[in-house]
Amino acid sequence: MNLAATGMAAAVAIGLMTALLAVVRARPAVVGAGTALTGAAAMTAGAAALSGGSFSLVLPGVLPLSGVVLALDPLGGLFVAVTGGVAVAAGIYAMSYVDTEDLRARGVQVALPVFVVAMVLVPAAANVGTLLVCWELMALTSLVLVVAEHRRGPQVASAGRWYAVMTHAGFVSVLIGLMVFVAHARDDSFAALREAGRQLSPVIAGVVFVMTLAGFASKAGIVPLHAWLPRAHPEAPSHVSALMSAAMVNLGVYGLVRVGADLLGGGAAWWWLLVLGLGAVSAVYGILQAALSSDLKRLLGQSTTENMGLVLVGVGAAGLFASSGDHALAALALTAALLHVVGHAAFKTLLFLAAGSVLHATGSRDLDVLGGLRPVMPVTTAAFGLGALAASALPPGTAFVSEWLLLQALIHGLPAGGVGAAIAMPVAVAAVALTAGLAVATFVKAFGVGFLARPRSEAVVGAHESPFTMLAGMGVAALACVVVALWPAAIMPAVRAAAGESAVSGAVTLRLNQVTGALSPLLLTLGLVAAAVVVAGVVRAVAVRRVRREARLWDCGGGPMSARMEYTATSFAEPLQRVFDDVVQPELDVDVSHHQESRYLVQAVEYRRKVPDRIERRLYQPVLDLVTAWGLAGRGLAPGSVHRYLGYGFYSVCGVLILLAVTR
Amino acid sequence: MSALGLAGGVVQPVLIVAGSPLLVGLMRQVRARLEGRAGAGVGQPWRDLRKLLRKERITPRGTSEVFRFAPLVLVATTLVVAVVVPFVATESAVDPAADLFAVVALLALGAVALALAGLDTGTAFGGMGASREMTILALVEPTLLVAIFALSVRVGSTNLSAIVSSTLHDPARVISPVSLLAAVALVVVIVAETGRIPVDNPSTHLELTMVHEAMVLEYAGPDLALVELASAMRLSVFLGLLANLFAPWGIAAEATPLAVLIGVLALVVKVGVLGGLLAAAEVFVAKLRLFRVPELLAGSFLLALLAVAASFFLA
Amino acid sequence: MHVQLLDLACGALLLTAVLVLWRRELAVIIRVFALQGAVLAVLVGVLAAHEGSAELWAVAAGVLVLRAGILPHLLRRALAGAGESRRETRPLVNVSASLLAAAALTLLAYAVSQPLVQLAPSAATQAVPVGVTVVLIGFFVLVTRRRALSQLVGFLLMDNGITAVGFLLTTTGVGLVVELGVSLDVLLAVLVMQVLTTRMRETFGDTDLDELRELRD
Repeated sequence: MNLAATGMAAAVAIGLMTALLAVVRARPAVVGAGTALTGAAAMTAGAAALSGGSFSLVLPGVLPLSGVVLALDPLGGLFVAVTGGVAVAAGIYAMSYVDTEDLRARGVQVALPVFVVAMVLVPAAANVGTLLVCWELMALTSLVLVVAEHRRGPQVASAGRWYAVMTHAGFVSVLIGLMVFVAHARDDSFAALREAGRQLSPVIAGVVFVMTLAGFASKAGIVPLHAWLPRAHPEAPSHVSALMSAAMVNLGVYGLVRVGADLLGGGAAWWWLLVLGLGAVSAVYGILQAALSSDLKRLLGQSTTENMGLVLVGVGAAGLFASSGDHALAALALTAALLHVVGHAAFKTLLFLAAGSVLHATGSRDLDVLGGLRPVMPVTTAAFGLGALAASALPPGTAFVSEWLLLQALIHGLPAGGVGAAIAMPVAVAAVALTAGLAVATFVKAFGVGFLARPRSEAVVGAHESPFTMLAGMGVAALACVVVALWPAAIMPAVRAAAGESAVSGAVTLRLNQVTGALSPLLLTLGLVAAAVVVAGVVRAVAVRRVRREARLWDCGGGPMSARMEYTATSFAEPLQRVFDDVVQPELDVDVSHHQESRYLVQAVEYRRKVPDRIERRLYQPVLDLVTAWGLAGRGLAPGSVHRYLGYGFYSVCGVLILLAVTR
Repeated sequence: MSALGLAGGVVQPVLIVAGSPLLVGLMRQVRARLEGRAGAGVGQPWRDLRKLLRKERITPRGTSEVFRFAPLVLVATTLVVAVVVPFVATESAVDPAADLFAVVALLALGAVALALAGLDTGTAFGGMGASREMTILALVEPTLLVAIFALSVRVGSTNLSAIVSSTLHDPARVISPVSLLAAVALVVVIVAETGRIPVDNPSTHLELTMVHEAMVLEYAGPDLALVELASAMRLSVFLGLLANLFAPWGIAAEATPLAVLIGVLALVVKVGVLGGLLAAAEVFVAKLRLFRVPELLAGSFLLALLAVAASFFLA
Repeated sequence: MHVQLLDLACGALLLTAVLVLWRRELAVIIRVFALQGAVLAVLVGVLAAHEGSAELWAVAAGVLVLRAGILPHLLRRALAGAGESRRETRPLVNVSASLLAAAALTLLAYAVSQPLVQLAPSAATQAVPVGVTVVLIGFFVLVTRRRALSQLVGFLLMDNGITAVGFLLTTTGVGLVVELGVSLDVLLAVLVMQVLTTRMRETFGDTDLDELRELRD
């Protein structure tokens, strides 16, 4: 039994034991610590698998048909390790975050470790049965966690409904796809599927790919299947939001890579052009919605759609290059995508935990009433600032390294493929660039309006810094962010093992293999720090008067300024909203009421803005209407008589039997 | 690190720091003369900086470290760019940082620091400036990166030294539609990024029109001196980048004092001419309404995309 | 050198087409159009120099006179008659969106003209997508502009594109006679439209084509 197997066994055992303990007596500290330990064990297992210690385990009797088959290869290992890492941070955080009646409820406490165990098992599943069971367990436990705070308002229940329906529709889609696949293979183990995948006819392979893509993309929150994400992620408790947004969505990417690239063995170029297109649209649309949002957690959820979109751009480009035979570039693109998965997990955990800390202290996540958190919550502010820098693809940031790699792959990919690549690459670069620009604006808004400036409401004035374990949870995530940002070479071997081929080498400077390109985030950051120190020293030396004096803000001579004169998140995003007016089509409502004495004097101006999700309205509303109409039509069948209902069953059984008798 | 790279790494930041206020002075002088005024002289920005440096340091009440450190970050990012980009010598002092993406992102980082400082003051002006600056930045980014894409596709690298040396060795490349289209796109973008007319008016203090000035309204004394110096440096760095991407001639390719001297002179002449042209053009152009700016940027984006398209149309 | 000049001319052709879409003032658009005529003449001139054919030189001179001289002059006269308030185009699709549409059209042009290029890959045929792009952008202008005059520009843009494609594809020349015929056709079309616009203005007091809808009622 090697380290990978021991780690997995420990993760599952600790997780389930924690759940059992929670059944007996649900104490947040114990459950949190157990979850963190589960995560740590999973991280060990993943790291061991990445450094070559794979294992496989067959338990034939546990499930019907082919039983439970577990195996951990480097690709799965990366996702297990990432999930474990997120669970460590979220577990430590949960120890003191869970302090309300709703969150202390037994069911919720039990669901948390089981959710983590299910997420750890998904990338380790090595047959279709195990994968689907773990997938469903993950969906159910996360659903319990999403609706944990259902007493807070009807929006939580609504989010839960959306999530339940979408995740199950996705599950059905994956189920159908994989069943079609299994029908053409010896049995349902991945080894058999891998063998069969090479001989599938293009049509069947295409059907399998598109069906599984729909299911996995809905889990990853890809447009147009993203509708649940900005609902469920904000309404869940923050440590669960972190787990969902930083770990669970990744498994959609995992499924896509596993089925598309591994089991089906690559496939046609149009598959990957589709993936690339979906990724580009999701990235731009997600960040655009986030840029206009003024709900802190909703903004972070929408940014998850954006980041998963970027990952899919990388995966799509990798598939495209592989289908045209350029394996070096394919490895580079896949490396970029997987590195972005890791980086995104780190900074999204940090951001959600920090947002949870704010919610915990102020009771609000509306950016328009926050602000001025710096003096009262210095650590949380620093943590969110670091996360915002990491998320916005600026130099000493986490996303910068992976987006740089992605852009390098896209640039070098232009001469590689034919007409398809020639058209896809510039469009993808433009989409990635627009995403990067909007992400900067979004996170400047989130950090600048939410944490800096002066408080916009009383709730903020009375806020306090969060307890130590919550800060420690954030610290773990912050450390991961810093490592990925400054020394990506530290985790590069892991990503390289998962991506298959080595695309990047070097310890301090990342050098691309096969194509020219080098970047050293560490040197860049050191240079920045050195330059700042030099400048500060020179200014100190040159300046004659060294004492700093505090002074009043410039108020145009109109007396002290009130917080209502500050720019809010809504006003910050207004120019962007105007620029993208045609795309988002916001609903504006301006009411001006005049003074009674004179029409020229304005008494009050009321401004309401709503940015509806256009894709959602166009795509989902007809479906919802149809379902409603169907339900109304079905109402006639339900008069309330129990006999009638039993009769339906009886008639149906008889009908089926008669049909059988006739057709035989 | 080669001797040439080292020479560039030392000479360039000194040249940019010393020369950029003079560039601003030159541009103001050109404008003044064209408008029929005498002008304050080329050295006026330096005199202003000296005056500001001697003043007291003032921190507005209620601001945090972000406000205090933003000018430092702004100058530091520009300084790093001045060190790594091949302005005077073809080789870079820190080659792994002389990547076109990294340079663009570094300059964006400076703008972000200033925008956060604007928000940190909590005044309406600061928020307004930050909001506008970020909107423009978000729209400029795609154009910049796509234009870079067009320039680096034929070289096969985004390394600035590689791009500059390749143009130096094959001058015929400059008169290609790729260069033509990318150059026009980059000019528009640089005008937007450095806050010149028609996107922003550097000499206005009218709240309806200002972008950059609104963000820095609360700065005074040495902090303001740093902000002013940094914005002058950003202008020189962008113009220098433009000059060396399309016309790198004169740049030092070997580590002799003469070559470096010629490199310095060539850079001064090129940036001076570009600055003079920009200032002269500003006299004849009116500032655009803020909401017409996206049209301008969409146009430059299209040109950048056409440059990419042309690089494989006419390959 | 011939290849580079050709490429540069094509780049300028694209640039002018984009500028027509970008600018709002009709006077500027007409100036840009004249510039495009000159660029087209340069393009034909470069081909003529390469082929060493006197006939092509004559065509180049003809293109220069017609497209950079006569047509812009006619347009300017029409504009002068239009009055102060008619100086700006009023696009149906806003400028940013039409610029993005032009980007998409470029990529489309590239995709569809690949088979043509592959028939006989040479420096001239490589540039065919540029011509096709100009045609598509011209068509787009025709569809999305309200004023009769800017539509006329769109039509002429299309014609410029078609001419460019013709010369690039068959370097030996479409033949002097054909080019002459086409040019006369275009001239005639412009004259007819100018008469029509004048009549429209006299009747409706406007050249907004949406007003033509009233004729149906």
